[in-house]
Amino acid sequence: MKRKPLVVLGLLGPMLDNGRGAERWERWRPTVALCQHEELLVDRFELLYQPRFTTLAKIVSTDIPRISPETDVRLHEVAIDDAWDFAAVYGALHDFARSYRFIPEREDYLVHITTGSHVSQICLFLLTESRYLPARLVQTAPPSRERGMTGSFSIIDLDLSKYDALASRFQQQKVEGKSFLKGGIQTRSKAFNAMIDQIEQVATSSRSPLLLMGPTGAGKSQLARRIYELKKSRRQVEGKLVEVNCATLRGDGAMSALFGHVRGAFTGANTDRSGLLRAADGGVLFLDEIGELGLDEQAMLLRAIEERRFLPHGSDREVKSEFQLIAGTNAKLQSRVREGRFREDLLARINLWSFTLPALCDRREDIEPNIDYELERYALETGDRVVLNKEAREAFLRFARSPGALWTGNFRDLTAAITRMATLASGGRISVGIVSSEIARLESSWKQDADLDAGVSTVDQLHELLDESAIAGIDPFDRVQLAEVVRVCRKSRTLSEAGRLLFSASRLERRSVNDADRLKKYLARFGLRFESIVRQQS
Amino acid sequence: MITIDGSMGEGGGQILRSALALSMLTQQPFRIDNIRAGRTTPGLMRQHLTAVYAARTICHADTEGESIGSTTLVFKPKKVTPGKYAFAIGSAGSTTLVLQAILPALLTADGDTEVTLEGGTHNPFAPPIDFLRRAYIPQIARMGSTISIDLDRAGFFPSGGGRFVVRVTPAKRLSPFQLLERGPIHAKRAVAVISALPRDIGEREIKRVIKRLTFEASELEVLSLPADQGPGNLLMLQYDCQHCSEVFVGFGMKGVNAEAVADSAIDHARHWLAGSGAVGPFLADQLLLPMALAGGGSFTTTQVTEHTRTNAKVIAMFLPLNIRIDEQAQASRIDIDMQ
Repeated sequence: MKRKPLVVLGLLGPMLDNGRGAERWERWRPTVALCQHEELLVDRFELLYQPRFTTLAKIVSTDIPRISPETDVRLHEVAIDDAWDFAAVYGALHDFARSYRFIPEREDYLVHITTGSHVSQICLFLLTESRYLPARLVQTAPPSRERGMTGSFSIIDLDLSKYDALASRFQQQKVEGKSFLKGGIQTRSKAFNAMIDQIEQVATSSRSPLLLMGPTGAGKSQLARRIYELKKSRRQVEGKLVEVNCATLRGDGAMSALFGHVRGAFTGANTDRSGLLRAADGGVLFLDEIGELGLDEQAMLLRAIEERRFLPHGSDREVKSEFQLIAGTNAKLQSRVREGRFREDLLARINLWSFTLPALCDRREDIEPNIDYELERYALETGDRVVLNKEAREAFLRFARSPGALWTGNFRDLTAAITRMATLASGGRISVGIVSSEIARLESSWKQDADLDAGVSTVDQLHELLDESAIAGIDPFDRVQLAEVVRVCRKSRTLSEAGRLLFSASRLERRSVNDADRLKKYLARFGLRFESIVRQQS
Repeated sequence: MITIDGSMGEGGGQILRSALALSMLTQQPFRIDNIRAGRTTPGLMRQHLTAVYAARTICHADTEGESIGSTTLVFKPKKVTPGKYAFAIGSAGSTTLVLQAILPALLTADGDTEVTLEGGTHNPFAPPIDFLRRAYIPQIARMGSTISIDLDRAGFFPSGGGRFVVRVTPAKRLSPFQLLERGPIHAKRAVAVISALPRDIGEREIKRVIKRLTFEASELEVLSLPADQGPGNLLMLQYDCQHCSEVFVGFGMKGVNAEAVADSAIDHARHWLAGSGAVGPFLADQLLLPMALAGGGSFTTTQVTEHTRTNAKVIAMFLPLNIRIDEQAQASRIDIDMQ
């Protein structure tokens, strides 16, 4: 019947454990007293101390074997300058927890939480609760009237269900995590918030790749950065965030940019290059526009994800890199798979957790909080606080939420709009005049986009809806118009919304309007219905 | 196998230490159940484990249940091996109690033994080293073995840090002895020992001694020890008689005033002085075992305690002896002889 050795991890208490002269033996010193109990044999004490208290640590570490020769005391200096700085204390204790070699199957661990600042006590609790410290907690108390200076102790096992209520308080931390992912923006879109909830859950509990889909400017990069920050704050990654847009990795350089090369691998390879995957070791690799990656690179990447190893260009030795992959795409990868431009196995690997970020025009209720966020960001970056006065705010919101605001560049457009208005604001106030000219600027840029879109996509779009002979029966003059109508329908949620957009100029002059009916009749001329156009799309 | 009910008498560590000593001596394994049954923290505590560990080391015993909280211990001794040993004992244990568990077996081992003990030498829950040196060891020496104790440093509770070396030259055979009278007192001393505490405490204790007992100025002393060890205080009353010596001790403790410390030693001394038995209750307790090893003997004591009775029962389980206790007010007589 061999019992497991008992190991206590504890912080040296600069106040409670203090005592230099002979009178220290007349004081209750929790760290020393814990080793003095008749019914608790501490085989090893891992005593953590701040560099400032080295002398005290030495005293305590020689006093313990005196009263408990069975206890082996090991000192660990932890770099905590300010014991009340939450991040620093948590970081230092977490580093210790990560580097300490726990062998729970062979040793029992107790974490002593009576000594140290309240901050360090909370941090030790959190680290134990989250099982970074596979231990039970031990609390000590001074003697009341009994003889000697031993006092009492109690052991708390957080795994017991009676502490569930306590654990549920830490759900709050999760709520903070969600707000974190949204960059602190109080988003109102239910669908978006539900998606963020899910991402938070996946990001903090899994290391599997994440796929972020959505149009350009929908905030994929920002979200990837925040996921990284969240994981870092939860100590789930230690390394860096490496971001790269795969569209910039074309041709020969792509392979060595990603996977590195050895000296002499090809002409011009004068030195070793470690590559982006290795730079992301222990961290997060965000590959935006992953659909643009070449097929060779895709194959190599798949192996790097699955095996966590890969071969740098020109090397015959594999290297290791453990990174969490976040992939971004604005294209439908499935269609690229069908076209043979994207590997099906890679898609299957990265598609486990895929999230579609809605376009800004699908999250119009989130425009207002994002305006506030952008103003805040502007203030942080420039040091100038700028406000939208009430009228200006209303005018801009009325426009921004209207179906006429296309937001084709999504958040990129919104950020640019706010930056422009804030820059032009004199005296830190954005006026109605500034808003009006910004609205005009946005409309004109979207019109150019739309013209460009219409030009390229006319034939494609009509081919999806009508057969060859039907198209041949339409005058080229009318084809362009129909294509534009189809494009607008597809951007709209309802027939009425599309109608309002298509007849937006004339509707202001008419007394009674039924744009939906007008559009319906127009479509019927080509044997089309709004529902079928929209359905064809997905 | 000898099976002992650990809950008999006052229970606790005394039964265990006697059983360990007897088991090593008689080479009989034993099993003790219900260790500290009914206590808030039942089973073996660290102070017991230190004794088990020391005994096991000296006779290479096999054990079962040698862990904190275990309410059953099985101890299977092998040959007692003389030689050099060192044991460090924490403040929870006591060096003198550990010594009591291992010393009897060394008295008849087939070679000299030197044991270094580190830890507390003056622990309020155990006989102090001065008691062992002055009262206990001389009586054991009378049975034939040579024992010396060299105290390097005193160690007070709880800081410990004391150290002493015990050297034992065994006798081939222990001879029975009689201690029926203490004889006239030819020397006495009262010493207040002070370490890292105000000297005034010792002076007040001595004043109390003067008030309640008869001592000459030359027999009184306040002894200050170097303050580098923990704080400590005790009052010791030593009486050297023709046939034996007695030591009575009061321990200073936080929250207990100097007069009360002195009184606890003085009360014991006065009780002994008032009686006619040779030894006081603590020494009586300790003498039982070596006398049993010698195969017989008699002594008188001023008081028979529950501890002594329990001890007698444990001894009778290991050795074919009759232990008769004749309790009287002034002097109770204890006779041990072979069945």
